[in-house]
Amino acid sequence: MIPRIMKQGRWAPWFYLLPALILMTVFILYPTIGTIRLSLLDSTSRHSAASTCSAGQPCWGVFENYRYALTNPAMLLALRNNALWLLLMVPGTIAGGLFFAILADRVRYESAAKAIIFLPTAISFIGAGIIWRFVYDVESGGGPQIGLLNAILVGLGGHPVTWLSNPAINNFSLMLVGVWLWGGFCMTILSAAIKGVNAEILEAARVDGANEWQVFWNIMYPTILPTIIVVTTTMAIIILKIFDVVFVMTNGNFGTEVIANRMFALIVTNAGQSTAIAVILIALTIPIMIFNIRRFRKEEAAR
Amino acid sequence: MNTRSMRIFAVLVAVSMLFAACTTPTATATQAPVVVPTATTAPVVPTATTAPVATTAPVATATTAPAAAAIDCKGAASGDAITLVYQWTGAEEQSFNTVLKPFEDACGIKVNGQSTRDAAVLDTMVKSTPPDVLFWPDFSPLKLYADKLQPLDSVGADKSNYAPYWITMGTVGGKWLAIPAKADPKSLIWYSPTQFAALGYTVPTTFADLQTLVDKMVADGHVPWSMGFNNGGAADGWTGSDFIQDMLLASQGPDFVNGIIAGTTPYNDPAVAAAYQIYQKWASDPKYTVGGANGTVNTKFLDALYKGFANPPEALMVKQSGFAGGEIVKQFPNLKYGTDYDFFQFPGVKGLQGGADFMMAFSNKPAAMALVAYVTSATGGQNWAKASFGLSPNMSSKGNYTDPQTIKIADMLANTTGFTFDMGDALGAPFNDAEWKGIVSIVQGADITSTLAGVATAQKGSIK
Amino acid sequence: MKPFTRLNRFFSRFPLHLAVILMCVLWLIPTLGLFVTSFRTREAVRTTGWWHAFLPQAQTVGQPEYTKYCAACHGADGKKITAADLSSPTLVNQYPSAASLLLMLRKPVNNAPHLLNTPLPSAPTDALNALTPIITYMQTLSGQGGNTGKLSLSNYVDAIVGYKGLQDYLSDCQTGAAAKTGVFNCTAGDLANPAGMGIAMLNTLAVTIPTTLLVIVFAALAAYAFAWLDFKGRQWLFALLIGLQIVPLQMSLVPIAQLYTRLHIQSTFLGIWLFHAGFGLPYAIYLLRNFIGSLPREIFESAYLDGANHWAAFRRLALPLSMPAIASLGIFQFIWVWNDFLVAKIFLSTHPVLTVQITNLIDPRGQNWHILTGAAFLSFLIPMIIFFVFQRSFVHGLLAGSVKG
Repeated sequence: MIPRIMKQGRWAPWFYLLPALILMTVFILYPTIGTIRLSLLDSTSRHSAASTCSAGQPCWGVFENYRYALTNPAMLLALRNNALWLLLMVPGTIAGGLFFAILADRVRYESAAKAIIFLPTAISFIGAGIIWRFVYDVESGGGPQIGLLNAILVGLGGHPVTWLSNPAINNFSLMLVGVWLWGGFCMTILSAAIKGVNAEILEAARVDGANEWQVFWNIMYPTILPTIIVVTTTMAIIILKIFDVVFVMTNGNFGTEVIANRMFALIVTNAGQSTAIAVILIALTIPIMIFNIRRFRKEEAAR
Repeated sequence: MNTRSMRIFAVLVAVSMLFAACTTPTATATQAPVVVPTATTAPVVPTATTAPVATTAPVATATTAPAAAAIDCKGAASGDAITLVYQWTGAEEQSFNTVLKPFEDACGIKVNGQSTRDAAVLDTMVKSTPPDVLFWPDFSPLKLYADKLQPLDSVGADKSNYAPYWITMGTVGGKWLAIPAKADPKSLIWYSPTQFAALGYTVPTTFADLQTLVDKMVADGHVPWSMGFNNGGAADGWTGSDFIQDMLLASQGPDFVNGIIAGTTPYNDPAVAAAYQIYQKWASDPKYTVGGANGTVNTKFLDALYKGFANPPEALMVKQSGFAGGEIVKQFPNLKYGTDYDFFQFPGVKGLQGGADFMMAFSNKPAAMALVAYVTSATGGQNWAKASFGLSPNMSSKGNYTDPQTIKIADMLANTTGFTFDMGDALGAPFNDAEWKGIVSIVQGADITSTLAGVATAQKGSIK
Repeated sequence: MKPFTRLNRFFSRFPLHLAVILMCVLWLIPTLGLFVTSFRTREAVRTTGWWHAFLPQAQTVGQPEYTKYCAACHGADGKKITAADLSSPTLVNQYPSAASLLLMLRKPVNNAPHLLNTPLPSAPTDALNALTPIITYMQTLSGQGGNTGKLSLSNYVDAIVGYKGLQDYLSDCQTGAAAKTGVFNCTAGDLANPAGMGIAMLNTLAVTIPTTLLVIVFAALAAYAFAWLDFKGRQWLFALLIGLQIVPLQMSLVPIAQLYTRLHIQSTFLGIWLFHAGFGLPYAIYLLRNFIGSLPREIFESAYLDGANHWAAFRRLALPLSMPAIASLGIFQFIWVWNDFLVAKIFLSTHPVLTVQITNLIDPRGQNWHILTGAAFLSFLIPMIIFFVFQRSFVHGLLAGSVKG
């Protein structure tokens, strides 16, 4: 049921939409159609992908590149790692960002504190690579440790740890960089939402004797929920196509491969496989789309 | 947003729009006053490849230059522009510009160089606006863009200045498409002559000698090697793959290596496995290499080099390409070539291993032909050597190098019977990726037989 | 408020301050490491951790060994024998390694062994071990040691002027090596070097500001339509926005480059503005539509009742009320474009932006990456200013009383 208020003429909406739709069509939709086409062709983009099948091996015909993208060990590892990133980093950055935004809202040096958390967001990924080199560096010979973490470990009498090449921990090392980079993004957007919560209502609740926990869940949370959902959706998409951090720190070695790094590694030498990975990446957003449509409907029904 | 920040923003927008409008190539005339007030010097405007003519600097002086006679401009008009793509940046790019300076002066051709190491950037360019001439350090453009490249004989390249193996290397399907403009031999081991003298070691001359020397060093309590895979963040193992290839060149020879590149010899041949057996011990045992396997995998390759020449040195030998000498002296300015650091050829190699930057032409317009002709000409070879920009495979470069270290490498290059390209670079993906990852995991203790079997599968994939 | 009450209040809020400050410190440490490193020399960076810049420098490494073997003849300050003055840098630099010193010491002096009184251990390895700290001590004596604590601005200077020489710009200017490049003449004119950061900074601004503006305007228009106007396929188009956000921009490079070549807008600012705007829009619309959509319906209704049309409602209500969202969008759009490397490299090759210029400074083997430390700091100054400018729009109570709880 569409509210009457929204009926504003037949052509008017398109006047508002047109500039954005044209740009998105030219720069994203049109190339995506090409991407789908290429994903059905071989590495040279001249013949059907089916021609790369060899006798006696499993073959998915024209979808042969998708067989690579869904069954190759390197890709399976990448899919697993992306799932790990999603599970840990999305809640991590959002909870952390929200927690900090709420705390910072109450101190007088708020804008300085927020600037510090925001700072990594402003650093290019080349800069971030260098910064974290000085944290994770390991000296395996006799020399002094110039990486901060290992210097602390050795100073406490421990042994240096290879943070980036030990498959048991390196994914977590990379995720820490991710949280550091993206925490500021979540914090900034959520902070803007918190500013929108009516301060009088909050005060009134506190006067009535509600503790901070109740104030958060009963007043703040419902107001900023739409923003939390927006940030969750955005973070999920960002993590699905996470690339820079992995590329700069390990280039996918030592079991840290992720989907987008695989896609980029193949982009020149095997356009077919690379584009098939891209299409899979797009397909992975379908659940997120469905979730958002549902919420869209519910929200409109409520107003 | 309040009014003040709004106003600041509006000013910023206006300035940036103005700047953008002014730096578009069509509006060259109005540039200088807008950009920077200090400019009494040369035009400070970023160069514009698409500018039709409009170079403000007088080019008429060029024709009177004495070198003009030796440089064939192939009928290019003064003021013509060409675009180049190469991977050189920083000081290397400056040296390359020194090589080109006489050419630009003689023909009045404006060279617009762009540097990128990213194959995806190159790919996009080639598929939209290809550069006129490309310099690239591996064969991949030959495979990917063979139909877009001009045969070099048709664009004025001079074959007679190159040893035949250079020509063969750049010939695909009977068409000569690429010629190395710059070569960097890799079959070198860097060491300190004073250190060797103090400890009583001598330079080995055969591979067996090297193995004996390494074991003797270990027995004396010294660490023979310093190795590092880390390539500025990501370990990719190319220094390991160079090492293996030199071992194969010593134990088997260039035909064997070329067999791997051609696909006639599988990568899991017993000879390869034998090389890996030795390498695994050398690269992962802390008695043989600094820091053991962790050191090899995590150390940056330049740091690995420095470790061999620091005070005190952590290792006695580092296997690294010709560029290493320049890096050592940049890091330790007090060290002198010939006494404090020097190199010897990897003992027993039959034919050198090395890398090269290949020149390829996408265009046959006169200015592009003039450049190809210049680089492959006797004058070009001489100027390359004089600019001290690594080594030129051009035979005329001989006798024009100025520093003793380059002269020694140049002599090695001139006397070698063959030049094998790095296997990974020659075969490309997916082999190079599998090879590097295989080496990294073998150093970390993976089983040699099964790992090499996996690399051999990728080798087949690359040849297909 | 009385001072006592204020103090009391401070202590009751102590855990809050502790948590905020702790998080800030943790977040800051990695960047602080880079900041300190950007003032350190290359050798210092390679051999010691950045925190050593704050620690006192040990001057006594090698002193016991020196006293044992050398002090008797050369004196405690190394100056006793004028012909072999161990505090002379020229002499000391001739022996950069223990091995070179050992070879020299093995040669007799005046027909007698060099170290007459206290001979070195006979095993070469032990001799080298004894000599290594002596080298360090001789370097200290000659005034060259202990430079791991030295701080300088040279990384910044090199980055700003775009210097790619052997040593740093300032010292090469003194020795005259910089002038030989033919590019630098060691005057203020070097600031305008096209390979330096000055021009690149202007190029980056010329890319970033119009792009940010385009995205904000187009996204606000579209978001308003999604939120408050009815048209066919709204929900499907909205879902599409999410799908469009994930499309990797690498997939668009080749087709768009081909299109631009045909349209002759390759390597123009217009081309890169449109490209960035195209990829910025899906997220921008998505974010703004959620914000504008959550504005209370009543304010729009009363506006329509007062005779406003939808354009007036957009300009006078939707736009000003969504300033916090527009501000945060603006900040991030600005920063993403500011830090972009790939798109600028391909679509604006003739006017290098900061990120491209910085990578051009680095030699292929990355040995002069220390310049990056200075360049990285210079390049995020402007984004931080933008953050402070836009952040002023997140004012508490802007929507007070107007948002439904």
